[in-house]
Amino acid sequence: MAGPCYEADAPGARLHRSLDALDLIYHRPSGMTHMVSEPVPQILAALAAGPADAAKIARRLAATHDFDANGAEDAIAARLAELEAVGLVRRA
Amino acid sequence: MSNEHDQHEPAQAGEPDATRRQALMLGAVAASAVVSIRPALAQSAGSVLNCEIPVPDAGRAGQYIAADGQLVPPDTPGAFPPSPRPFKGEEVRAAMQGRSLPGTDPQRSQAYTNYIRRLQHGQSGFTCYASLQNPRR
Repeated sequence: MAGPCYEADAPGARLHRSLDALDLIYHRPSGMTHMVSEPVPQILAALAAGPADAAKIARRLAATHDFDANGAEDAIAARLAELEAVGLVRRA
Repeated sequence: MSNEHDQHEPAQAGEPDATRRQALMLGAVAASAVVSIRPALAQSAGSVLNCEIPVPDAGRAGQYIAADGQLVPPDTPGAFPPSPRPFKGEEVRAAMQGRSLPGTDPQRSQAYTNYIRRLQHGQSGFTCYASLQNPRR
């Protein structure tokens, strides 16, 4: 079953700073700063290739990352819902 | 893994390194991965022009305002009595740009404006004044 499809602003709309285990993301359009952990920066990077649902993002991430595929879609879907709530992604 | 070092390239500015296979922790579904920070001043963006600055603040009501903005005892020669009402952020912004505060002549407006410029953290009206200073407003 396909979940909702999401898109993100172009990478230039965000300023990223890595702080060891955490990343800071300043979202220019909203003026808000977000402290995020894995896999959020990776999901946003995967969305740079175009709108995608959780399953598609999992496939994109699998091309460049090693992770436990068991439950991956659910975990990514939960992060997408979280990112939608703070305005970093929106329904495509 | 040691034979992958030749593929390593620096990450593009601001984006994660996508050129090298990385271990990724997806975490549990219920484990929140985002904490958002909304600056207090940004939060008040809509209300900046309506926020109020008392001259002087309630704790020192009754004191006069000298031309340089310092608070002085009542009836000090050359000083101005307190403003009968607080000023709106919008009025103060206009005064910073050279207009007089409403209900005042230029000298009195200047004294009040100098007082407002001296406001410090914790004093009534400071947050309002600080918001006016934010160049994004």
